[in-house]
Amino acid sequence: MMREHRSLIVWPSLIAAGLLAAACTDQPKVNMAPNNPSYWLVPPPAQCPTGKWTGGGRIDPPSNPDTPDEAVHPEYFAVVLPSMTGKFTFGFNVFLGQDADGNCIVNKGEIEVNGHAQKIAWHVSIHNGVDAYDGRPVHATVFSDAHPGGFCLVVGIPDDYMTARENGKGSTEPFELAQFEVCDNDRGQPQKGKPGPDAMRWRSEHHGDTHLVYLTGGNVVEHGS
Amino acid sequence: MNGNSMHWVNRLAAFGLVVGLVAGLAAAGSAQSVGGQAYATYVNTPLGYSGQSPVAVLPAVSGTDGAMADAEGSALNVAGALSSDFLNSITSGEIGTAETGAQSTASAASVNILNGLITADEVVANVVSSASQGGAFSNADGSTFTNLAIAGVGSLAGDQPVAPNTNISLPGVGYVVLNEQIPSGDGVSSSGLTVNMIHVYLQSVIGGVCTPLGCLPGTVTKTGEIIVGSASSTVAM
Repeated sequence: MMREHRSLIVWPSLIAAGLLAAACTDQPKVNMAPNNPSYWLVPPPAQCPTGKWTGGGRIDPPSNPDTPDEAVHPEYFAVVLPSMTGKFTFGFNVFLGQDADGNCIVNKGEIEVNGHAQKIAWHVSIHNGVDAYDGRPVHATVFSDAHPGGFCLVVGIPDDYMTARENGKGSTEPFELAQFEVCDNDRGQPQKGKPGPDAMRWRSEHHGDTHLVYLTGGNVVEHGS
Repeated sequence: MNGNSMHWVNRLAAFGLVVGLVAGLAAAGSAQSVGGQAYATYVNTPLGYSGQSPVAVLPAVSGTDGAMADAEGSALNVAGALSSDFLNSITSGEIGTAETGAQSTASAASVNILNGLITADEVVANVVSSASQGGAFSNADGSTFTNLAIAGVGSLAGDQPVAPNTNISLPGVGYVVLNEQIPSGDGVSSSGLTVNMIHVYLQSVIGGVCTPLGCLPGTVTKTGEIIVGSASSTVAM
């Protein structure tokens, strides 16, 4: 009887310990679904695993283009913009979530991009699920790319984009629509390549598109949910 | 079920409980840390003073979290010592289950140090530190000078890196270290790197006497310093 009583205590404890261990392991919850078909003429439905993305560094378009990954969703960037070239440095921190309708949104985030040839410093600030500069939600999506195990994050999806503040001598307006994309192509591994394999893309309504370019230095990390 | 088998079941359950708790605590209790800082300019000379500016410091990061900080400056002018514009500093860091790291970048354009002694169209400092199961490392990939010129020494055309810790004498002024790199950590569980793209050390000679029998050297003392493009990152797990 005593042994049966103890087993009644031990088994729930074991289950609780297992649940605790699983909860603390913090596995990234990325969507492993195959890429969406390439014949879409409109943006594919957003996939939105909860996720945290952080990183920064430098790109030098047009050098080191990440053509394979840009080709994964060529139709996704519906608006054709002139190319931007030169040095770009950046840093970001984006936490994803979902709204009541299941749409993928940015719960909080900061993105800074400096175009050195353009002498423009763009900044995006998102708090409590809305863009600090226009008060609207910022939508995002995550999808697997052409690198094995690699994933890309797009912040400010077409038809909605997001609003970035412009500073610097080259600034032509205080705010403009923008879109940010990064790819973590070495998930779980330190980036030691020169350049890449991680990549970044910045699109600005009035200044152009860097296209997806491997990092000259820095890192992009998807670091869990 | 007899008493013996119940006894073993309970032992197995107790073992599982311990294993589960240890695994859970190990995952929850790991003390990973990241740090980062960046600033575009620092001037501390007899000609004038300007603190680290604009400076970005990485906020504290814990759990599986991440953070970013940035700062911008339109122009800086410390007469006779340093002028520059389009000053930007960014730092970010993250802690993850598979990879932990920090990255910082600082840049300054239209750099003019000591009335044209050193000029550059742009200076970019870029560092990254990362740690995973494979170890910890840091590098300064992406740190370059654009059209760097040092009067009486030479110039570099275009956007180019310079070998780490390149030391160049500046007669009558002191010396400059280009791409000054200061590493830290053991490379296994920790790593860090500070890069100062231009670090001018101002010096003067105090004392020293010459007689018909010869000269006694004076004492070289540091009288100031100028830093342009400084980025730091650290990681420990």
